[in-house]
This record gives sequence, C-alpha cells and structure tokens, in this order.
Amino acid sequence: MPSCLPSNTLERARPLLGTTVAIRVEADDAAAGHRAIDAAFAAVARVHALMSFHEAQSDLSRIHRESPGTPVEVDPQTAEVLRCALAFSAWSDGIFDITVAGQLVAQGLLPRPARAAMPAADACWRDIQLDDANGVVLQRPLWMDLGGIAKGYAVDQAIACLQAHGIRNACVNAGGDLRLLGPGPHRVAIDTGSEPHITQPVLEIDEAAVATSTSRAFGDTGQSAQVHGRTRTGVGAQTCVSVVAPTCMHADALTKIVLAAGADSAPLLQRLDAMAYLHDASDNWSVLGATA
Amino acid sequence: MQSRLLLIPLAALVVAAPVRATVYLSVEQAQALMFPGATLTPAFVTLTPEQMRAIEKDSDVNVLSPQLKVWKSSTGGWFIADEVVGKHDFIPFALALDEHGAVKDVEILEYRETYGDQVRNANWRAQFTGKTHGAPLKIGDDIKNISGATLSSRHITDGVKRLLSTYALVFAQQHA
Repeated sequence: MPSCLPSNTLERARPLLGTTVAIRVEADDAAAGHRAIDAAFAAVARVHALMSFHEAQSDLSRIHRESPGTPVEVDPQTAEVLRCALAFSAWSDGIFDITVAGQLVAQGLLPRPARAAMPAADACWRDIQLDDANGVVLQRPLWMDLGGIAKGYAVDQAIACLQAHGIRNACVNAGGDLRLLGPGPHRVAIDTGSEPHITQPVLEIDEAAVATSTSRAFGDTGQSAQVHGRTRTGVGAQTCVSVVAPTCMHADALTKIVLAAGADSAPLLQRLDAMAYLHDASDNWSVLGATA
Repeated sequence: MQSRLLLIPLAALVVAAPVRATVYLSVEQAQALMFPGATLTPAFVTLTPEQMRAIEKDSDVNVLSPQLKVWKSSTGGWFIADEVVGKHDFIPFALALDEHGAVKDVEILEYRETYGDQVRNANWRAQFTGKTHGAPLKIGDDIKNISGATLSSRHITDGVKRLLSTYALVFAQQHA
C-alpha cells in the first residue's frame, strides 16, 4: 500500500555509498524540488567517488598506492573528512581509527586494495599527516577506510546542497544514517536489528542528525564490522547505538566510539553536543551525553 | 541538542499493512526526470533461453524474467524499468543508459519495508487492543524516518550489472 504523501513532498532514492540513499524534500514547485534532489544526489555521488575504498580512482586508493613519505594531494572534501577523522582519533585516544581497514580486509569485510603495499602491522592514525595544502603523507604503509565517517559527511553535503537550493524542510537518509532539515520535533524510528519486543523505540529530535551502528554480527561472516582502533579486535557486546548530533559526520563517527568505549565516551558526546542511546542484548536502553 | 527516546508500545502503532511501500517515482515520472524533454519509444524484448543463459554467464547474476521493459530515447540512450529481489520483496528500479550504453542514472522506484514479525501478527497485536491510550502513531505517516544499521544495496548493484550485460549481449547487437 503506497504511503500518502502531501502533494508538495518529493522523495527519491538511489543506490549510493554501498547503500540506499533516500532524499525527501518539501517543495512548492516540483520541478525545482527535483532539481534540488538531483544536485544533492550529485553531492553524495561526489563524496562516494572521492572517498570510496573500492574505487580505484578515489583519493583513498591513490593514497594507498603511493609510497610512504610521498605526498598525495587530495580534494578539499577528502581533506576535511580526514582532518575530522584524525580529530576523532585524538579525542578518543585511538579508539576511532580509520587505519583499521587492514583488519577489515583480513576479515574479508573489505576487498584487498589493488597495487597497494601491505600495511605495516602496527601502523595507526598517527602515521597519517595532512598539510595545509591538502597533501597527505603516510609515514608507514597503511590502509584507510572512511566507511565510519564519510557516509555521514555525504549526508551533510546533501543537506547543504538542498539548503543552497532554497529547500527548508528535508530528510537525507543514507541507509539509516540521516539528517533532518527544518523545525522539529521529528520522529525517527530506530531499527535496532533485533526483533522488537513489546515496544518500538522512536527518537524525537529537533533539526539534527541521527546515526545508528551495531556491534551485532551480520552477513555471512558472523563477524562484527566494528573494530576497536587500539586493541584491533572486534567490538564485542551485542549492542546497538544511535547518536543524535548536530551533523551526520559527527553522529556517524560517534556511534563507533560509543560502541567501543561505552560510558567513557560521555565527555566527548557532551563536547560535541551529542547524545547516545544504547540498546543492549537484554533489551535495556541507556542514555549518554549532552544533558543526560 | 534536544532529543528524547520514546518507547512506544507496538500495540499503539497502527500498521495499516504488514508491509509499507514508499513509492518514490512512477515509471513515467522517472522517464521524465532521466530523459527530460525526450520522447521514449517502447522497445520491449522477450529474451530467449539462450540469451538468458548468456547474460547469467556474463554478469554472474540470475535472470528472473525474460521480459525486458526497455524504451529508446529520441535524444539517444535507453530507459529500462526492472526489478530485483530485496531483503523481503521486489524492488522496482529504473536504469538510464546513454547512447553508448554507459550508466547515466539509477533511480529506485519503490521500496517496501517489512516490520517485525510481532507487528505483522494480528493475533499478537490483538492481545493489546484497548490497553493503550493516546493518539496512535502511524508508521509511514507519522514516522517516516528510520535509523538503523546500514543495509547493503548489493541487490540493486547486481541488477544494474545484469542489465549492462543484457545491453551488451542483446541490445547493442539488435540496434547496431
């Protein structure tokens, strides 16, 4: 049964970022609304092309192929995400670390990059240097995966693009990581990945972003895709976490830190004006951060 | 950042149908968006068993139907309306190819989401009928946004791969 949307609501979806990206806008003029959606999809596709681990021509793949010590100039957007990723590594003392890609490849969750040297066993985020001219230099061979942060950034870029097109009310949802534009309250149902018991969790939020990650094993591998940056082991505990934050890039990255660090992540959540909602295997909820 | 968690009893959720379908675009709307101003002429094809086998061999993706809904654009290029099997159901999508057979755009036309077994089970829900007060929330109307761990779009990517093989093995030959 099709949902009944008001006539001025437009919603479209495309396969991007390895997931389904849905964009919903309120627009008086349908043609202008579709142009805004086209531009927002293009912004998402651009982030995908620049920061994909899989695409041979992405900035990431170019860095992986270069010898350590040689700078690789990257797009300002890639540099912005790398800077933010390194800041999260510093704030979390290495719990968030994009260089866990080596472990993800070893687990079969990512393909081995072509024509790239094997990563040094103990390489970490401290081996990545970024200069003011957006040049990236690796101190040792390593592989980076921006999967834990670039999706949120792509959502933020799409929202910025819609705003630039005069859209005031919108939702961009990249496979469960979403950001809302326009005054709230907005209701966001949380899919914890486990069968609902007698209640359905729903977040009520203002104009903000929500990202959800789980350490529950999925797929055929039976392994969690969440790797602790310091210990380089899978993040255990059958937990699902949703983070509400002003930007989707922050929400996306913070879910990984909260999954790994639990209550220790509260100061960082507060610092970034974010809140985390954790759902454990016993169907209990707990709240961290901001005014909690 | 203001936010709060509501744990809404499932019984208070009105789920009109076990599956909610979000219709993004009709085939006609997708055609108008992907080929603005163009005239699209149907060039429907029924694949032969040999062609289906060749496509499966080339793309490594199963061909579900021999019927292929293809339109040729007056501005060059092709529009294909097709579907893939998603997690629960068929996902209709549209593929636009340029005159050289390269992907211009992919639009998902409709997405069906299935809610938990308990929600689907009318008997289970009946136990709670009348036990809750307050305005029932409608999933789909009141709650349009769902945040959850990422689902892969692999099935759609595979569908596009299959159609590119179909183009190369069937269309490019017929319209060379």
